Amino acid sequence: MLTLSDLVGLLPLLIVATTALLVMLGVAWQRHHGGTAAVTVTGLVLALASLPLASAASSTPPLMALDGLALMGSVLVLVSGLFVAALSQGYLAGYQGPKEEFYLLLLCAVTGALGLVASNHLAILFISLELLSMPLYGMVAYSFRTERSLEAGIKYLILSAAATAFLLFGMALIYARTGQLELAALAAGLAGSPDPWMLGGAVLILVGLGFKLSVMPFHQWTPDVYQGGLAPAATVLATVSKLAVFLVLLRLVLVAPVFKSEWLLILISLLALLSMLGGNLLALFQSNLKRLLGYSSIAHMGYLLVAVIVGGPLAVETTGVYLFTYLVATMGAFGVIMHVSSPFSGEDAAGLHHYRGLFWHSPWLAALMTLSMLSLAGIPLTAGFIGKFYIIALGVEGSRWWLVGGIVIGSVVGLFYYLRVIVTLYLREPGIQKNVTEVGHGRMGELALLIIAASILLLGIYPAPVIDWVAGLTWAA
Amino acid sequence: MELGFYLSGLVAVLATVGLITGSSPVHAVVYLIVSLIAVALVFFALGAPFAGALEIIVYAGAIMVLFVFVIMMLNLRPEAKRDSPWRRPGYWLGPSLLALVLLVAVVALIDGGHAGMTIDGELITARDIGLTLFGPWLIVVELAAILLLAALVTASHVGRRIKPRGNRNRGGTQ
Repeated sequence: MLTLSDLVGLLPLLIVATTALLVMLGVAWQRHHGGTAAVTVTGLVLALASLPLASAASSTPPLMALDGLALMGSVLVLVSGLFVAALSQGYLAGYQGPKEEFYLLLLCAVTGALGLVASNHLAILFISLELLSMPLYGMVAYSFRTERSLEAGIKYLILSAAATAFLLFGMALIYARTGQLELAALAAGLAGSPDPWMLGGAVLILVGLGFKLSVMPFHQWTPDVYQGGLAPAATVLATVSKLAVFLVLLRLVLVAPVFKSEWLLILISLLALLSMLGGNLLALFQSNLKRLLGYSSIAHMGYLLVAVIVGGPLAVETTGVYLFTYLVATMGAFGVIMHVSSPFSGEDAAGLHHYRGLFWHSPWLAALMTLSMLSLAGIPLTAGFIGKFYIIALGVEGSRWWLVGGIVIGSVVGLFYYLRVIVTLYLREPGIQKNVTEVGHGRMGELALLIIAASILLLGIYPAPVIDWVAGLTWAA
Repeated sequence: MELGFYLSGLVAVLATVGLITGSSPVHAVVYLIVSLIAVALVFFALGAPFAGALEIIVYAGAIMVLFVFVIMMLNLRPEAKRDSPWRRPGYWLGPSLLALVLLVAVVALIDGGHAGMTIDGELITARDIGLTLFGPWLIVVELAAILLLAALVTASHVGRRIKPRGNRNRGGTQ
């Protein structure tokens, strides 16, 4: 049974779920865009504020593990949810049609992500993953009157359902061999060498999670969905969804011995190499910023898989630091896209030509975009450098030379297209006309962009506090 | 009881093959219903009568009937010749035979006095399931509730009728 201390431990999840209900009741009573956004942001901030209290309770509710990994995941998920909520307000302001449901769906997705990062049982893992995906279908297809958005939504729905079937089948195979669903019991019941059925189950689970992470052979949906979906929905896909699923993959690998078999590690290494090289190569000639960011996120997940392959205590620290840097950089890039587009005028302003000469009429946005791109490329003095440094250090420590080589080559290729975006921002054309009109955005969005820019720089210049915090976390292995 | 388990399993597989090879949606759905009932029998044989009953009530009963109705209303291929179904035994013979096999299996098992027995392990009753779901698994139930809420909101949003109101820029960009 759930005790009171369990409830305190689950406080962030409960607060976010309650906020979702409040938003739903509010929508049923009276529609008010600004009010809904404010309630959403307040709820997420409250959930973030309740995290210290929740982690101090050190409770162990059934089916869940509220350890350091879960705490880190909760912080990441809540922070990205907060940024998305704050930036969505300005973005959705011009949307013709009901805007409030978007926040409701966002809150549901965040609830799922919070459950996912803390899941210690295959049942809750599955339900949380579905809870994370289900609102995303609606968010991607939110402006369903534009063709691309609807197409992206249906694409994601069908492919995601197929991936879920793989995941379930994998779980069934593992359950058939062990009779356990609890991750810890699963690990204990499998002390010996894993048999083919277990390995098959593990591979199927890997396929299911790899789809959500859009690791290379399962990446086909990524560019289309990123391009077609609303910018905030694509942001949630790139941040909340990926962060949470990656942390769950890391937990599986840390806990369940079947994921540590040499054969499976070779398979994951192949996926990682494919992702980091393929993602970067495919991004090279993209002229759509959202597609480019989609491919870039594939490459980043490839880099991150190195942490899963090497494993060990340093892997958690690396993952934490990398995810933080990835979060701020991705959020910065998508934040600028959200700031200059609006679904009111059809599709998002995501073509690179929209951004030509952005610097000459809105220098601050151009500066933030530059910072984000530099950070994604891993240039020193930005957050991305610290993350990449960690990953390479981990790869070298684990003597995974092929992977280190892949990271280096991928980064060099990546530098090209990130710099191409930056150059576009500063191109000055004679007789320049405003390609993107700044939609009047609320204070909340501007504040969020400012915080993102500051944290990219801060993480790059003085990352010690975050590193110390992540290194100090303990997790149940 | 093993006989019932393997027989229903076989029927489930065969019916599913019929489902995915069929060309007409209505006939495919009939195969699917047989397959679901066979799976329900597998659950009964394994000692999970509650799951078996749910499988029949929810899937074979509610969802499939809804599905058949939707297909009927869509009225696919109205130009296709509608023969009397009795002249084309291919349409109904397969599912009927499979359903008959299931019936024979059930009758044989009940007649043989095996009704209360299961293959292995204890009988999982509705009470056990309720106690588990609303005891340690409460958080899963709550998350499932929010999942349904999200699905409902998504469906209601995407299924919304487009209002012709549009007080500005009507018909310009859409």
